[in-house]
Amino acid sequence: MYLSEKDVRDIAAYTRIGLPDEEVAAVTVDLNNIIEGLKPITEFDLQGVEPTFHPLAGLVNVMRDDVAKPGLSQEEALANAAAHKNGQFLIPPILAGGGE
Amino acid sequence: MRDLSSCSVAEIRAGIATGEFSAREVAQAAFDAIAQREPQVHAFLEQTPELAFQAADAVDAARAAGGVLGPLAGVPMAFKDNMNLQGTHTTCASRMLESYVSPYTATCVAKSLEAGALPLGKLNMDEFAFGSSTETSVFGPTHNPWDLTRVPGGSSGGSAAAVAAGMATVTLGSDTGGSIRQPASFCGVVGMKPSYGVVSRFGVVAFGSSLDQVGPLGKTVADVAATLDVIAGIDPRDCTSQNLSAGPDGKPAAFSQALEQDVAGMRIGVVPAFIKAKGVEPEVVAALDGALAKLEGLGAQLVEIELPHVAAAMAAYYVIGPCEAFSNLSCFDSIRYGYRHEGARDMGEQYERSRAHGFGMETARRIMLGSYLLSSGVYDAYYYPAQQVRTLIIQDYAQAFAQVDALVTLVSPRAAFRFGEISDPTAMHLSDMFTVSTNIAGNGALSLPVGLGADSGLPVGVQIIGPQFRDGEILRVAAALERCYDFNRLAPLARGGEW
Repeated sequence: MYLSEKDVRDIAAYTRIGLPDEEVAAVTVDLNNIIEGLKPITEFDLQGVEPTFHPLAGLVNVMRDDVAKPGLSQEEALANAAAHKNGQFLIPPILAGGGE
Repeated sequence: MRDLSSCSVAEIRAGIATGEFSAREVAQAAFDAIAQREPQVHAFLEQTPELAFQAADAVDAARAAGGVLGPLAGVPMAFKDNMNLQGTHTTCASRMLESYVSPYTATCVAKSLEAGALPLGKLNMDEFAFGSSTETSVFGPTHNPWDLTRVPGGSSGGSAAAVAAGMATVTLGSDTGGSIRQPASFCGVVGMKPSYGVVSRFGVVAFGSSLDQVGPLGKTVADVAATLDVIAGIDPRDCTSQNLSAGPDGKPAAFSQALEQDVAGMRIGVVPAFIKAKGVEPEVVAALDGALAKLEGLGAQLVEIELPHVAAAMAAYYVIGPCEAFSNLSCFDSIRYGYRHEGARDMGEQYERSRAHGFGMETARRIMLGSYLLSSGVYDAYYYPAQQVRTLIIQDYAQAFAQVDALVTLVSPRAAFRFGEISDPTAMHLSDMFTVSTNIAGNGALSLPVGLGADSGLPVGVQIIGPQFRDGEILRVAAALERCYDFNRLAPLARGGEW
């Protein structure tokens, strides 16, 4: 057992997924099973082995010239927002109880 | 008019060039086939006839004016629904993006359209590409055209099924751990994951950024190669895309050219450990043995290869994949785009309710798993070692390709399974056991259908793996092997007569 139900609730809160109470037990079982399947990673002798974080290991930062290029218009950028007002994204209060 | 369902890219292009038929007729035939077969298969999430007929008219006008036809002129094509095409929905088969309309077009899609392809629509997939069966699509699964009670594989299940059902000549899919190759094998079509960096991912919704690669699916190796010629190449908007080696004229060598070479004298690696792996069905081993015998008959030399660290590839993949997905999917904040839960008291509640409702369970599991694996202390136990294992897997392949030109092995431990047959997520993940290591190492691989399984009667593929950036070698072996088989890539439901 790697994760308790409380751990799963904490992870759900951290990842901002409002996991319903009735799903916590099943998700805990699933995640523990998956983590058990990751065991081989902990069983190799990796002493002195350098990590490779990317298949293009030699890739260094790729830069372009610092020249302005056309992008999405404000209208296009807002088109998929569920709510916007005065050309800006509209969100509920950051702290409960406030106004818009 | 001839049966366009069975036509290749070259036949369609030639038919239009000679005036045997028009691109508009090809588009009409494609939508007729879709109208007939899509109700059973459910490969599409959106159809775009207006765009397809516009593109067809442009091709026909170019021909009438004596202009040059693009390499995919008049080819009915469709795209996995994680690829943006301006003005269409790009849902990733998720409630989160159900109403999202693409404000721009992905490079791989744009290149296809510039080459003259007719965009038929967007294709079903597992939600955010998390899955191996399309069963996690919130819009319902795709059915395997060979047996409608079975899955088409995944995550690019719609991409494979649309080709097998003769509804699209070529499709694009994406492959993070086998998501092009496994459905290609299940549906009896050719599917290729090129080396990481060959195709730009700009405009393709990211899953695992160090693993994702876009590739084509088609009925033949030639169709796949012709499409790869079009979509490959460096793109300033994807810094991982590579400038492939240029030929004497300064242009990259065409992948299609590799098809003409034979395999006599080539050294082909076989991996005995894969065949002995738990859960591998005898019929897929028999299919592989048959393919290897044919390669030997063509003058290739078989060499046994050990990949000692590939046993850890599955575990490394299920560490790296979720960690990268956790990071990539944090962009779904319900503010700029994506599903928003209405009536939340504050921002926190809006985030939590929107993401809980917007993401399906497999997606939520992978996000939570990634978050856990990257947390303090756990990172050192899993994430860092997984990246060390990646080094060892890359070394394994480097040593293998010092001895052989390509590896020929299994794609999947079994043929297509039934809906609901694999409900345990850990068991479902094993479906990728032979495909994930090339995503981790970055080299290319292709699934080639080699007939029907002796027990299941369903299509079975073999996997051809090449050294990084030598994808032409893969296509060369695939084309030679393909010539040994008389295998109809169209599923039975798509055969018989005109469209």
